[in-house]
Amino acid sequence: MSTGYLVLTRSKLKRQLKKQLKTAGALAVPGLLLCSAVSAGPIRHEEHFKVAAHPIITIHNPEGLITVKAWTKAEVMVISMPASNAVEVDSEQMGNRVDVTTRALSDSVSPSDMKADFQINVPEDAELQIHNDAGSVTVSNVTGDMNVETVAAGVDLEDTSGYLTVKTVGGSFQCLRCAGRIEVSSITGSFKLIDLKSTRVWAQTSSGNILFNGQFLPNGTYSLKNYSGIIEVRFSPADSFDMSATSLKGKVNNEAKLTPSTHEHHFMPRWGNALFGTFNQGRAKVELTSFDGTINILKRD
Amino acid sequence: MATDRCKDFLGRLDSWIAGERPAEAKAHFRDCASCQAVVEDLNAIQIEARSWRQLESEAPERVWTALRAQLEQEGLIRAEQPEREAAPVASSLADWLSAVFARIPRPALAGAYLSILVALGFALSGPVNQPSNEAKWLEGTRVVSSPISAQLDNFEQNTSLANRDRNPAITASLHQNLAIVDNYISLCEKSVQEEPENEVARDYLYSAYKQKADLLAQIGERGENVQ
Repeated sequence: MSTGYLVLTRSKLKRQLKKQLKTAGALAVPGLLLCSAVSAGPIRHEEHFKVAAHPIITIHNPEGLITVKAWTKAEVMVISMPASNAVEVDSEQMGNRVDVTTRALSDSVSPSDMKADFQINVPEDAELQIHNDAGSVTVSNVTGDMNVETVAAGVDLEDTSGYLTVKTVGGSFQCLRCAGRIEVSSITGSFKLIDLKSTRVWAQTSSGNILFNGQFLPNGTYSLKNYSGIIEVRFSPADSFDMSATSLKGKVNNEAKLTPSTHEHHFMPRWGNALFGTFNQGRAKVELTSFDGTINILKRD
Repeated sequence: MATDRCKDFLGRLDSWIAGERPAEAKAHFRDCASCQAVVEDLNAIQIEARSWRQLESEAPERVWTALRAQLEQEGLIRAEQPEREAAPVASSLADWLSAVFARIPRPALAGAYLSILVALGFALSGPVNQPSNEAKWLEGTRVVSSPISAQLDNFEQNTSLANRDRNPAITASLHQNLAIVDNYISLCEKSVQEEPENEVARDYLYSAYKQKADLLAQIGERGENVQ
């Protein structure tokens, strides 16, 4: 109870100090401020936090471009650029966790002001929890677990691993050379999963398209599902998988020479257009399901 | 409190009920009395659901008690006050759902609760490929989906995002996506009506309900945060 009070008080004090400094600056050097207002660019703020192994970084932002990159230093660098003076970015460290939050300074902030862009550098093994309604989220070379939630913001991941969970409402998702385990869901967002090295992929969208162009690793499970739109899977001759593809009211186009499956399926629908079979030894399990969309199983170029 | 393994297990309960039982899930189930109890209760509900006409009056009290305990354990509802414990058990599934729903403390938790309902709905829908006639399947789906649909409608009416969220573009996007999910629900309902025994259509219908529950919970949470 008392800790919460202290934290709240510290946070309030910090904000008050910031306001007072701004006011003092305005009184002392009005000419300079006028110049800065005329050349009004984003206000850049840089902060550094020393962290131990496996730090957790949380980012909560209403709208903006968030770029997170891994580096070799045992510290987190947060460069924030709020869109206006009507919002502020609070970056606080609590033990091995760094929380970054964008706040409105009054209740009358317009949506166009309620934005901030970020460039954040983190240790490779950092765990990320990112919430960004609109704009974009880009993460590269981070190997820790990651949870990203957006409404309209697109999410681009590159060379990441760990347990990745991504949830968007309308934002697209792209994963390039990702490893580990991936769970992604959306309503209207499309997914592109390129050169993946994941052992477990679960992807579900309602009206978006899903492209999977990666390796089917032995013992991996790959489940791709949508209502409408196109599910496209690319395979190479060396791949080994057990395939189950069903489109209830759409088409299934297949270029893979499948042999009758020797594995038991607990789920053998008699409905819609469906195909089952094994490619090579059937080491990975691939399940493609659509309500009225098209499923394409195509040879990789 | 449920462990992360319990949450993982319960999150994939529909697969377990459908017969998909990976080794790690089996290992957890073998050692976890809490998850065993949930599965046992769902099996009991399934048995009850097979006699659809009697479902409204004959679901055993221990099922509701166990499910209530599970929801309390997950933190989705608060434990009842002692004076309320003596209250009679709700006489029907819909009544019970309404009573529980009324006690959900926050919209965000309601989403998780509705997800459990959807999983429950899947469990109630019976094992796949079970031979049955169309009328029974249709009635079974109706019994399961009607309370879920009604709860979702009720939740939607109580979730007034428009006046509370700061960003109209985000509000518009959420409502647009909600309309898309509603459209899929309509398509799936139509498909289930046409082919009551089609387990894929039924799976899509419940999946769409779950999506709507998640989206409404998100909308509710946004409104709550802005206040």
